[in-house]
Amino acid sequence: MTALLRRLLYFLRRARHDADLRDEIEAHRAHRQDALERDGFGPDAAARGSRRAMGNVTLAVEDAREVWAVRAIDIARQDVRTAVRGLRKSPGFAAVAIGTLTLGIGANTALFSIFNSLILRPLPVREPARLAMLTDGSWSYPIWEEIKARETELFDGGFAWSEQSFDLSRGGPTIPVDGSYVSERFFEVLGVRAARGRMLTAADNTSAAADGPVAVISYRFWQQHFAGAADIVGRQMTVERLPVTIVGVMPAGFFGVDVGRMADVVLPFAAEPLIRGRESRLASVGSLWLEMMVRLKPGQSVEQANVALRGVQPQIRAATVHGWRRGDADRYLSDPLTLVPAATGNSSLRTQFETPLSAMVVAVGLVLLVACANIASLLVARALARRRELSVRLALGGSRWRLVRLLFTESLLVAASGAALGLLFATWSSALLVQQLSTWASTVALDLTLDRRVLAFTVVLTSLAAIVAGVAPVLGLRAVAAGEALKDGGRSVAGDGRFAVRGALVVAQVAVSLVLVIAAVLCLRTLVSLNRLPLGFVPEPLLVAQLNLQASAAAIEERGPLVARLRDAAAAVPGVRSVSASSVMILTGGGWGANRIAIDEQAMTREDRSSQRLWLNATTPGWFATMGIPISSGRDFNDGDRLGSPLVAIVNEALVRRYHLGQQPIGRTIRVGGSNGEARYEIVGVVGNSVYTSPRDGMLATMYVSLAQREPQEGRPEALLTMNVAPGQRAAVERDVAAALERVDSTVAFTFRTFDRLIDATVTQERLVAMLSGFFGGLALLLAGIGLYGLVAQAVRTRQSEIGLRMALGAQPAEVVRLVFRRVGVLIVAGLALGLTISLWAAQFVGPLLFQVEARDPATFSGAVSVLALVGGLAAWLPARRAARFDPATILRAE
Amino acid sequence: MGLTNTPSDLLPGTLELLILRALVSQARHGYAIVEHLRLASDDVLTIGESALYPALQRLLVSGWVKAEWGTSENNRRARFYTLTASGRRQLAAEHAEFDRMVGAIQRVLTTT
Repeated sequence: MTALLRRLLYFLRRARHDADLRDEIEAHRAHRQDALERDGFGPDAAARGSRRAMGNVTLAVEDAREVWAVRAIDIARQDVRTAVRGLRKSPGFAAVAIGTLTLGIGANTALFSIFNSLILRPLPVREPARLAMLTDGSWSYPIWEEIKARETELFDGGFAWSEQSFDLSRGGPTIPVDGSYVSERFFEVLGVRAARGRMLTAADNTSAAADGPVAVISYRFWQQHFAGAADIVGRQMTVERLPVTIVGVMPAGFFGVDVGRMADVVLPFAAEPLIRGRESRLASVGSLWLEMMVRLKPGQSVEQANVALRGVQPQIRAATVHGWRRGDADRYLSDPLTLVPAATGNSSLRTQFETPLSAMVVAVGLVLLVACANIASLLVARALARRRELSVRLALGGSRWRLVRLLFTESLLVAASGAALGLLFATWSSALLVQQLSTWASTVALDLTLDRRVLAFTVVLTSLAAIVAGVAPVLGLRAVAAGEALKDGGRSVAGDGRFAVRGALVVAQVAVSLVLVIAAVLCLRTLVSLNRLPLGFVPEPLLVAQLNLQASAAAIEERGPLVARLRDAAAAVPGVRSVSASSVMILTGGGWGANRIAIDEQAMTREDRSSQRLWLNATTPGWFATMGIPISSGRDFNDGDRLGSPLVAIVNEALVRRYHLGQQPIGRTIRVGGSNGEARYEIVGVVGNSVYTSPRDGMLATMYVSLAQREPQEGRPEALLTMNVAPGQRAAVERDVAAALERVDSTVAFTFRTFDRLIDATVTQERLVAMLSGFFGGLALLLAGIGLYGLVAQAVRTRQSEIGLRMALGAQPAEVVRLVFRRVGVLIVAGLALGLTISLWAAQFVGPLLFQVEARDPATFSGAVSVLALVGGLAAWLPARRAARFDPATILRAE
Repeated sequence: MGLTNTPSDLLPGTLELLILRALVSQARHGYAIVEHLRLASDDVLTIGESALYPALQRLLVSGWVKAEWGTSENNRRARFYTLTASGRRQLAAEHAEFDRMVGAIQRVLTTT
């Protein structure tokens, strides 16, 4: 053991050592007392004598302790103390510097912690690196059964799951909770152990499980919904009207395998037929509704696993192909099955936000750079102002190295304080950001714990900030000579070398700020264009009740009449001006798409799978009027359009144009191919265009069929009641309609939706990006303004005597302002030119994030340039004006 | 009680050498070391606490002695110092160096 190591150990256990030392010296005194008593003194006299003989114990302890002190630690402590004292002397500087860094480091840490939990962090399961996911898209249960039959032969196990939103209510308004169906070995293959009770087993996935229908719940759900009840295992709850027994609680921190989503209630696939009854999808080869992962064998690569999987693909296909039409079967499973590494889990959120998040990480890094430049500039100014002090220190024999360390300690201290506060800011703001991601359709739950990776990121960032901010003043120090400042006392009239360092920093700040302001304006304009997009209907008075008929006790055949009764009940509620039923919720990004379509007797064409395909909806009479969609020719559906009567369709103008139906679309035939043959519809009306998937996709070709003409088993077990409500009565109507619906059928489940929330959800990403980039742009602008102001104020102060002299010689205040402006103007113009160049170059990367705005939009560019010029001008004008008001006599007398 | 010697009265390093020497035969606590040195020097060397404890700490830092809490002959809790192997080596080296030094001084003093 070296002496240094012992010293360090001592340093860590200082308190213990000090106590030992004190005890030891007390023992020494006691021994002396014993000796004195032996020599014949009385106990009191002996105690007194022994104490007197001890001398200065404190000094002895101090001296003894001194032996251990490591000089370096001691000096560092002294440096910190000096730096703290220095910062305390200028609280304004300290507050601005630390505040700037708090925002800079905090925003960086916040974004990185989201980036980390969404993109970088592996799943909290056993050996996540061995997980691989089957791409692309979703799979049917029969395919999973084929893979399950080979899971141990090909891999080290596999599992399937399906994201669900479960309804916990027993009737009436839905109580939605995020959950999933999972295959029997889901937890076993992942290696996740129960926090309470047990996880699901193979026995739970048979129709005759011993415990009946079972569920496991998340740790969070246990805490929030059951207040962490100790007797949770064995309790009953209702999921989609099915009573289930809770058999276990998942460990804290386990959210499932979908990053960004918390599976609060997990059921085995066996529960699905109990819930959906005749509409169960377990046996259907056409329903693609689940995802699959496998665990690779130790040492097995993803490539080897793919080879193994493709080896059995023909058998999987053969076993699951029956029931498909010939044309579809040809394409079915002809693409090779492909596994991809899935250590970080699955996430639709990740796909959606990877690009904007990366862009924001770059933007926030630039903000930090501006902040650092600001602090560097402030520190240079401080070093300049302290030239006298520093030069005295040099003259008194302080080593130059010691001065460098002193200045550097200051920037390190500022950075460390900023980082500590920044971490607080980050935990608060990242949670706020994630909250912004949640929409009516999905609740985003991200685990934002500050793990080692985030903390390491912050430490590296802080060190970089300290270095970037600390180097400039240290460089400036080289010019300080011992005693020099004492001689001229800052009375220089000539040019000032340090102005150049700070000038360069200001140019960089202005340039980066311009880039960020341009980006912010582009993103804001994108959001505005998206919000201004025409919808084709009038959303304000609309209220939608989304009905889940699956939950109802009514048989499938009874659903049509049930919807009619529910609609009549809603129509009778005061304040409801009209109400119509339809089958598809629009503005969800998807819907009911047609696969094959033809006009009159033309050949069937295959629709692509993109959002630009032909979309369908089924409505009752009056729906267009309720929505505010104009009927441009022909008629609406009427009561004559019912089962058995000739099929009729209403199309929108986009469809007329797309399929070249010409001037007379009414009376022509439109043929739609389905799984059991094709259906022929006569076009009876043409309506105005409206959005379907999202406003961004525009007005899509849409065909409407009569809800009354749909076979009961054809539709989804969902219906919508769209109500046109008198202004200001929405809340009252919502309450009364809920009561009315429950009176008709107490088992039906429903949720109210408004179009503003639906539309909001379609621009979540753009809104978030606009919000963030606006914040960053504003922050950068503010920082650049402060930096510029500081520079000009400083320059004016150091050249006070020159200005005073000029004014004494007859210069007008306007000339002084002009003098200051001339020097600053060069910096601003240089910064703007640099910023424009960078923006023009960077425009190629932001293109995908924009909508209806050019990435090199001239108006945006010139606007941002004027804003920056304005802010720069203002920041320079304030100190310049003050300089012009100097009284020359006072200045010169001070010399 | 006699005057307590301050470290400056001894040649630098001598106190450490004496302490190491005192620990050769047995482990001793601080007071016992002082007593041993006093008796062995016929009451010439009386070491004060302000000199003894820093010296002991220096020996601990160098790793030449180690300390352990135990019970003294008076039945009191005391910290006992033991010589380590490197302490023994150090003692031998310093002893030789001291002899050389004293011999040199002796020679200077006796040279006319």
